[in-house]
Amino acid sequence: MKNIDAYTHVRGESIYLDDIPLIQGSLFGASFGSPVAHGVITNLDLRDAITHPGVVRIFTHKDIPGENQIGGIVPDEPLLAGHEVHFCGMPVAFVVADSMEAARAAVKKIKLTIDPLPVITDPREAQAQGELIIPPRTFQLGDTASSWSQCAHIFEGRADTNGQEHLYIETQGAYAVPQEHNAIKVYSSTQGPTAVQRAVSRVLGLPMHLVEVEVNRLGGGFGGKEDQANTWAALCALAAHHLKKPVKYSLHRMEDMAMTGKRHPYSADFKIGLNEALKIIAYEVTFYQNAGAAADLSPAVLERTLFHCTNSYYIPNVKATAYSCRTHLPPNTAFRGFGGPQGMFMIESAIAKAAEELGINAAIIQEKNLLQTGDEFPYGQKAQSEAPECWHKAKTLYDLDAMLQQVQAFNATNTLYKKGLACMPICFGISFTKTLMNQARSLVHVYMDGSVGITTGAVEMGQGVNTKIAQVAAQVFSIQPEKIKIHTTNTFKIANTSPSAASATADLNGKATMLACTAIADRLKKMAAEELGVDVRLVALQNEYVYVNGQRTDRDWKSLVMAGHIKRIGLSEHAHYATPEIYFDATKEKGHPFAYHVYGTAFVSITVDCIRGIYTVDAVKVVHDFGASMNIAVDMGQLEGGIVQGIGWMTMEEVVYDTNGKLRSNALSTYKVPDIYAVPKEIAVEFLQTPHENLAIFRSKAVGEPPLMYGIGAYFALRNAIRAYNENGHFPFAAPMTPERVLMALYPTQKKGITESHEETINHLAVDK
Amino acid sequence: MATKGPHNEDPNDKALNKGRREFLKHSSLLTALAVAPPHLVKAAESALDEKAAVYFEQVPLSLEVNGVHHKLSVEPRVTLLDLLREQLALPGTKKGCDHGQCGACTVHVNGRRVLSCMSLAVMQEGKKVTTIEGLANGDQLHPMQEAFIKHDGFQCGYCTPGQIMSGIACIREGHANSDEEVREYMSGNICRCGAYPNIVKAIADVKKGGHKL
Repeated sequence: MKNIDAYTHVRGESIYLDDIPLIQGSLFGASFGSPVAHGVITNLDLRDAITHPGVVRIFTHKDIPGENQIGGIVPDEPLLAGHEVHFCGMPVAFVVADSMEAARAAVKKIKLTIDPLPVITDPREAQAQGELIIPPRTFQLGDTASSWSQCAHIFEGRADTNGQEHLYIETQGAYAVPQEHNAIKVYSSTQGPTAVQRAVSRVLGLPMHLVEVEVNRLGGGFGGKEDQANTWAALCALAAHHLKKPVKYSLHRMEDMAMTGKRHPYSADFKIGLNEALKIIAYEVTFYQNAGAAADLSPAVLERTLFHCTNSYYIPNVKATAYSCRTHLPPNTAFRGFGGPQGMFMIESAIAKAAEELGINAAIIQEKNLLQTGDEFPYGQKAQSEAPECWHKAKTLYDLDAMLQQVQAFNATNTLYKKGLACMPICFGISFTKTLMNQARSLVHVYMDGSVGITTGAVEMGQGVNTKIAQVAAQVFSIQPEKIKIHTTNTFKIANTSPSAASATADLNGKATMLACTAIADRLKKMAAEELGVDVRLVALQNEYVYVNGQRTDRDWKSLVMAGHIKRIGLSEHAHYATPEIYFDATKEKGHPFAYHVYGTAFVSITVDCIRGIYTVDAVKVVHDFGASMNIAVDMGQLEGGIVQGIGWMTMEEVVYDTNGKLRSNALSTYKVPDIYAVPKEIAVEFLQTPHENLAIFRSKAVGEPPLMYGIGAYFALRNAIRAYNENGHFPFAAPMTPERVLMALYPTQKKGITESHEETINHLAVDK
Repeated sequence: MATKGPHNEDPNDKALNKGRREFLKHSSLLTALAVAPPHLVKAAESALDEKAAVYFEQVPLSLEVNGVHHKLSVEPRVTLLDLLREQLALPGTKKGCDHGQCGACTVHVNGRRVLSCMSLAVMQEGKKVTTIEGLANGDQLHPMQEAFIKHDGFQCGYCTPGQIMSGIACIREGHANSDEEVREYMSGNICRCGAYPNIVKAIADVKKGGHKL
């Protein structure tokens, strides 16, 4: 089935937040963000700003009728700074004017006096100073301490990953409209309507049933609008509540980049031990997560880093400790993969380190240690593993040995171009790691003309979830998809939603929709059976007709529905789904947190231009565990898009803050996202159709996040290519591997090799230290 | 102690502004435009004289958008993008970065692709503008729109109008003779969802179809 939004997308008729027709009298907001990363506010001078023509009012923390707090997991994030500022871009005041231009111009006239305090940008420094968001967590399996003696090879090292700007092409925004009875309606570009509802409710001191949040669709989310849409919604709601007028704020790209958090940068120390047969016996890792100035979703992201710290390998002895470190950067947040990719990069670095030291191909170690069904993850769950199937199928299908030989042959004959090949197996757990979030509801109405309207908690952001939900209803009722309309996501229709995240949205909301449709269909079938005087078990809905015992009757869908209405059969259903079997005990750090895992293997090959340091991704060849894909076009889109985004994170996307905590990569001119050239020349995808039962909707496994992690292979392919040129090159395990860093790794100027920037530059930068 | 405040106005500047404001208040629109347009533009650009803008910053503009003639009054600082979205209620053209860096705002002016966020509305006097809303003939889609549906050339859809407008121009310019060439001439349009392979397929398909675009 085609994407249900295809027709409006290509006609420019799809409505995003900034396209909603404005109500007369609407005002426009703009946020004044702190120019300093850390300090005490001594004076906020609004005099010039307030007299700017068109300005209606300027809001500060003093205007908040409820609680000045939007922190979701930990209450540590004020909506508007009062006494202190904690990051550059932290909202201090909110200007509302009769035009966007006036609001932005007035923002520039606000004067803020700050007594600066020390700025921390490095997570290791924050950890050393005890600046932690939550107490450290440790996942443990077996006993590493006593295992090192069994190891023939032990390697230690450090690995670092940088952040990643979400760069949804639609920026953040909200439009708040006051309603009668003191209620408020907020249109928000959010992945988490309930999170926005909670934040607004808390800030305004209103019960949740007075806060309606509506989302039509997003122009991309990628995790960036899971919790970070709250700020703008709460600011608009605050202003609309006071002024009794609609207030809209659609962020400028540079405001968005400067004020919102990104993927978490991580630093890690690892120690890996292997026996003579190259089985990994023990792995110890310590993660330092750069959480930024407030918790946001960092504790949950940290948890997923631990869950995925062994990727798709079985390691009998594991000790993984993670620190969520408070720094003075904008609060970092969810981003496709949610900490998982960072955990995987570290174990892959450890394996690469071992392989480099032993002078063998990392693939040998990878293959020998793949998870088998029944193996235990460090968190106690037993694997239903497709890892070996994916690996071996890829190895045969794409002829890994031949690929490796071709690379060797190329490198033997070329001096200025070198090729690198890396294998990247993945394993990603599906479910929110917080068990309570694994629930969803769907509201299905069958109207008397046979048309169907569905509302769920899912937010459409390009991942095709609404298309999949329409497919579910079309299949259960056996009607044409044209008869089905998926309505906006709205907190007054569906309450207490989980955000559209964790790749689980189609599963959760799809299953709830299936339950609701099935309940209505069952009632209609029962009625038809009585009408026709047959056993209900013989009645089926098929191609818009009632079938009895495989024979079509005269009763079509439309007349069946109308008859149901006349006979007063309930044609609406609100169904609830909660993922079964999952639990997790955080006190023991053990449990069964995931409904299932998604596996896959990618071979990534890259050619490096050794004069210029630039490179081309030649091919990404994948065998991916889709279960039984219910929509190949949608799933392929997720796969290709995920790979490109993962490659971007690993190669070209470089978030740069200076030591004062100010974002330097603050526009598309200074932050490079994958353009059409970044796409691998070849993306080959083989669908591994797995026979096992799983908890996915129609057994079609979640596909949003897992493919991003194939992109990690790009880093290691680059590394192999560079080492083919410069055999003795030693360079740190640090991503992204920008062309600049590749060049420096190709031509190390010191004995041990460097990839750091020029010393003068480095003194001013925060992340490259 | 650090004091931050971007606009520390020079007192002389203020006097100057006051003078200009008074002058403008006492002139008619046409006189003001005839006598001192550079000052007006400057005042608008520096955003120092908002009142002047309110009184006088309206310039007549006549142009054709999607086959419809418009006679408008616009502020000289208004971009073509804002004109389309806010004054003409054509929100199909998207604002991604407002800096000419993402391509989401691509439209056609006299048949050639233009970044509408980087073009002032007043510069389009007498020109023909086509936006995404002007491509289809009623229910009948433009071949490029058909191709984007056929090849799933989108995910979230936000960059799609710009991609389609750019794709049509790419073929018109004679820059779609190979996938390689399509990539080169489409590299100014960012798709964060990464639907690039399908976008290339869609454009190549339309090119192959030999439609007159």
